[in-house]
Amino acid sequence: MKHEILYPGAFPMVRVELAAGETIKAESGAMVASSPTIDIESKMEGGFLGALSRKLLTGEKFFFQTLRASRGAGEVLLAPTVPGEIVIMELDGLNEYMVQKDGFLAGSESIKIESQMQSLSRGLLGGEGFFILKVSGKGSLILNSFGAIHKVELKPDQEYIVDNSHLVAWSGTTSYHIERAASGWVASFTSGEGFVCRFRGPGVVYIQSRNPGSFGAWVRQFIPVSE
Amino acid sequence: MGSATAPTSPNALCFSDGLPSTGLPCHVEISADGLTVRFDEHNGLGEVNLPFRALSVSAGGLNHDQLVVRWGTAPSTQTVYLKDPSLIRTFRSAAPPELMKELDATAAAVRRARSRNRMAWGITAGAIGALMMGIWFSMDLLVGWAVDRIPLDWERRIGESAYQDFLIQHPAVKDGPAVAAVQEISERLIAHIPGNPYTFEVAVVKSEVVNAFALPGGYVVVFTALLQQAENAEEVAGVLSHELNHVLERHALQRIVKQLGLVTTVGIIIGDQQGLARVMKQIGVELLSLKFGRSQETEADVTGLQLLHRSHIDPSGMVTFFQRMTQKERGGVEWLSTHPMSAGRAQRLEAEIASLPKTAAEPFTFKWNTVQDALRPVAVRG
Repeated sequence: MKHEILYPGAFPMVRVELAAGETIKAESGAMVASSPTIDIESKMEGGFLGALSRKLLTGEKFFFQTLRASRGAGEVLLAPTVPGEIVIMELDGLNEYMVQKDGFLAGSESIKIESQMQSLSRGLLGGEGFFILKVSGKGSLILNSFGAIHKVELKPDQEYIVDNSHLVAWSGTTSYHIERAASGWVASFTSGEGFVCRFRGPGVVYIQSRNPGSFGAWVRQFIPVSE
Repeated sequence: MGSATAPTSPNALCFSDGLPSTGLPCHVEISADGLTVRFDEHNGLGEVNLPFRALSVSAGGLNHDQLVVRWGTAPSTQTVYLKDPSLIRTFRSAAPPELMKELDATAAAVRRARSRNRMAWGITAGAIGALMMGIWFSMDLLVGWAVDRIPLDWERRIGESAYQDFLIQHPAVKDGPAVAAVQEISERLIAHIPGNPYTFEVAVVKSEVVNAFALPGGYVVVFTALLQQAENAEEVAGVLSHELNHVLERHALQRIVKQLGLVTTVGIIIGDQQGLARVMKQIGVELLSLKFGRSQETEADVTGLQLLHRSHIDPSGMVTFFQRMTQKERGGVEWLSTHPMSAGRAQRLEAEIASLPKTAAEPFTFKWNTVQDALRPVAVRG
């Protein structure tokens, strides 16, 4: 499987070249175009219950679509819903990644995607909900973000603070806990940050340069209110 | 994976200053003496042999499920993250006592963190449960508050529209001895309601169905068949007194507010009384099919008996009418479907009557035979 990011920046697409018989799984609705040799199958990753729990719990789409080069080699174009960068990671079978629910765009057939429950404080305050996706296995993982994607590399025991709504993904070796942005409750909220995540290395943290929630709130003020 | 796999297959990630932040895949082998960390040949790092005494351990990763093994001193500290459970078990079984202590302390810390997490979930679930129970049990209280805040005027309007609709389909009997008798009974009762805020309207409606009902705002309807079934005026007075008290206690409003739910209830408390009639229409609450709860029936029974007593009407009429209707138990006695006469209810009523001080009953001005004769013509003519 070969892949390439087209038009890097705000409105990118991924071109994936599949050899005959190869497959890729993608977020449903992510396919833009494909060669006629590619078949689309809807697949409930982890069986019906797994898919249902992912849908109910993480808000991630119920079905992943599987794109299979069943009638010969071909290419697929994939794009996310929101404007923002795409990043491709190669999983080596040892590194796992936690991905917030809107961050997954596509992945090799061989990668494993599970829903994972977070602790209460992370679920309530972390901004990703109670469930996140845990991606493991060996293969390519394609993530998308809202805005640009920024990679933060953390050495062992190195700490870094990220606003919770800017998180895209982080490696399984990093841990984090939630804390107030400022030392007082009032200051935490008046600063506009509320809660932040304190990450601790080693590992990498992918963050997005725009906050989807804040953007939504900003757009809302321009929508005419109909009676 | 485990110590038995080929040395080339990596089973752990190694971290240190010079290595990539996602970790360098390496192969960890555990022996009785310590740890061997072997890197891929092309990395040029070769392999490192580490005795157990050079190592320190801790838990790492998002869910503390990885074993972190550390060696070296401050600037050149190196770390491997072991994730494979069988590898962690092998490490545990090979570790010397000093390291075991550290391992046990780490495991205890992880267990504590996990039980804290479970406890937090448990407490939250408990709190949510308690809140729901609280709302459930304080519902009646909330309903009471909301009902108290509905102005009389609004109650009247709600009742009046249903009353008028009903009278269009079932014309009221305008005059005659039956109407006069019902008027006299109701006037006697209404006159003895202390601080009565309602202007009651009592209509007699021609019907084969044995029924009587009250609508919010003070609208009471008595069916002619009920008058025919009553053996004396006191029985009719018993039914009327019961119905009047449904109005006085605002039972219909309580049912409506309960059916509309908590959101509306709170809305009414806050002051959105305008919305009540609209919401009722939306939800399709029909006043005529509204059934009162058991506690409301009991309340209307008790206050009804007290009203009869104050009005100097023999209260036993209420009990005898209910009982006779139940014994007959035939179709058409609709009033019984909403007012079932259980043995418990009869006992309660009789106990209540016994507890009331004895007073002399004042007779009505009409003769009950005359009233019943006046209701009979249809049958006589037929």
